[in-house]
Amino acid sequence: MALLEVKNLVKKFDDKDVLKGINVELSEGQSKVVMGGSGCGKSTMLRCLNLLIQPTSGEIIFKGEDITRPGVDVRKLRQDIGFVFQHFALYRHLTVQDNVTLGLRKLKKMSANDATEKALYELERVDMVEHRHKYPAQLSGGQKQRVAIVRALAMDPAVLFLDEPTSALDPQMTREVVTVINKLFLDNITMLCVTHDPFLAKYISDSIVFLDKGVVVAEDIAERLFYDHPDPRVRHFFLSVIDHR
Amino acid sequence: MALAKGAGYTILVTIASVCAGLAIGLLMAVLSRLQWKPLSLFLAAYLYVFRSIPVLVLLFIVFFGLPSMGIRIPPFTAMVLTLGLISGAYLAEIFRGAMSAVDRDEILAAEAMGMSRMQSFLYIILPQMFRMSIPGMINEFTSILKYTPFAYTVGIPEIMKEAMSLAALTLRGVEIYLAVGIIYFAIYKLFVMLFMVFEKKFRVPGLAHE
Amino acid sequence: MDAFINDLIAYSPQIMAGLKNTVLLMVIMSVTGLIGGVAVFYLTLSRANAVRTWVERYISFFIGTPLLVHLFLMYYGLPQLGVHLSAFTVCIIGFTLNVSAYNARYLMTAYHGLDKTELEAAQAQGFTPPEIFRLIILPQVIRLSVPSLTNQVIQNLKDTSVAFLIQYPDFFAQVQEIASTNFQFFKAYMTAGLVYLVLVSIIVLAARRLEKRLILPGFQT
Ligand SMILES: Nc1ncnc2c1ncn2[C@@H]1O[C@H](COP(=O)(O)OP(=O)(O)O)[C@@H](O)[C@H]1O
Ligand SMILES: [Mg+2]
Repeated sequence: MALLEVKNLVKKFDDKDVLKGINVELSEGQSKVVMGGSGCGKSTMLRCLNLLIQPTSGEIIFKGEDITRPGVDVRKLRQDIGFVFQHFALYRHLTVQDNVTLGLRKLKKMSANDATEKALYELERVDMVEHRHKYPAQLSGGQKQRVAIVRALAMDPAVLFLDEPTSALDPQMTREVVTVINKLFLDNITMLCVTHDPFLAKYISDSIVFLDKGVVVAEDIAERLFYDHPDPRVRHFFLSVIDHR
Repeated sequence: MALAKGAGYTILVTIASVCAGLAIGLLMAVLSRLQWKPLSLFLAAYLYVFRSIPVLVLLFIVFFGLPSMGIRIPPFTAMVLTLGLISGAYLAEIFRGAMSAVDRDEILAAEAMGMSRMQSFLYIILPQMFRMSIPGMINEFTSILKYTPFAYTVGIPEIMKEAMSLAALTLRGVEIYLAVGIIYFAIYKLFVMLFMVFEKKFRVPGLAHE
Repeated sequence: MDAFINDLIAYSPQIMAGLKNTVLLMVIMSVTGLIGGVAVFYLTLSRANAVRTWVERYISFFIGTPLLVHLFLMYYGLPQLGVHLSAFTVCIIGFTLNVSAYNARYLMTAYHGLDKTELEAAQAQGFTPPEIFRLIILPQVIRLSVPSLTNQVIQNLKDTSVAFLIQYPDFFAQVQEIASTNFQFFKAYMTAGLVYLVLVSIIVLAARRLEKRLILPGFQT
């Protein structure tokens, strides 16, 4: 059974239909990428899935339970879903280490020692241990995003959401972050990642979901989606992004 | 010397008023986040009134006016209440500005992590707000210190009152008021230095507070 | 209440005279304070280290010590040296020194936020330092400081209430007079508070209009 199953997800802002019945499935250990033109509803979809945005209708079945029903413990749910933002969103007043331990201590109620130990272990995986006492302002964009990924992973979530994790980075830093996410992919971390970057998409996904104007128009592996796809919307999108590079 | 004893009262009044102002300002700033219509109207009115009224006028209302309504307030309390109410209005504005300068993405990240509104307020907004408010707090503290001489008008034996009786006694007004000025300046410098030590201890690179 | 209103009406010539004195003081010191502030700000840009140090000390001293002390020093202290100044003169001198220090601070803060390459460009064009100050720095710095400067005007109005402590017959002094004859302290002081509220509102409205007129494209303050 899938870890996450989205059925007919609809989201309207006032009278604007942003998501018009999305269907997506994600199994444990699977990694999917969501692509599509700017403003097609990718971020909105991701935010509906951890209830940062209240969906208008549809079902979101996470670990066998429909989380759109009333009475769901939203905070417990979110602790089980890691979220990585385009602009890092590291807490500016906390060091790298404290950014990672805050959730462990305050939400998972770990002791300070256990939290620190866990943080150091996780920071090691992305090569950031030596920077643990620095503040976000003292890090490069790539370093910030690596910390943000660790902050999410340290909570041992069932799934990791990433919303355009490389869009705010220059090519050098992008490579840094792609390497890290690729490592997670090879470790079979369950992921759902929104991106514009075909390079990132290819290296971190089992399959790619293509969104256009609030509906899924195609889902396939990178090779089949990127080149000569029968759907003109898909073909057109990848012609522009891939030629552009 | 009498002036030194007066300085003690001055410092006492200042510290008590700063505490009152911080408490009121913080409360107002937090309440303003609730965005409940009647409450925000009340807050707006509070800010407007207490930022418009002169300290001396409010002090006279509280100390000389209220008794004729049957409410008697001791001098020290009247002074602290007056300065607390007024600086509370200014501090509320400072805190509110600092809170709105907290990155919305960080608050969203805290929510996405599973924090309650209370938790994200305590762990993310409040610590950043305080750091960004430091220059404003120093300004407010300075204002409070500079208004403390009004305390003599309600009979608190602080520096100014001591100086006045001393001047009347010795007829050496120039020296005495110069000395008073220097004492005030010393207190001011001392407190600013303390603030700076405090600020340095909590300084975080990239959290601008100019 | 009726008796109190009757008193207000009976004393209205006195109150109006006081109000006039208050507004006069506020206007004068706002003007002299602005001129003084610009002058002090100019000195802070001086190339001579000694000038900058002393100006910095001046600003810091007047920001760090109470206005009332300066007023008392001049009004109650100086006669001992044979210098007798009227309450009005003392107020003007004391307030001007104070307000100038604050205004200079605001202008300095605005100056620090200025794009310095513009100044280099002006230098490269051959403008002299006083010309650069007058033509490039001042117009920008003043615009950027409008909110602080207008706030200072409000502060000035409120601070005039101190003047009665050195026997200047301002508005608040007149209110005192009435209160001490009819013993309606609460009503009298509340009325005073209300009047200040109205005056502040007038300044706020005027300031808004001024800000709108001074606004330049790309110049958000
Ligand atoms: N809070 C909101 N209120 C109204 N409209 C919104 C809101 N959030 C997003 N939208 C609209 O929804 C559409 C999809 O936005 P988004 O999901 O951010 O797109 P993207 O695919 O680029 O991430 C956009 O047209 C956007 O203007
Ligand atoms: Mg987006």
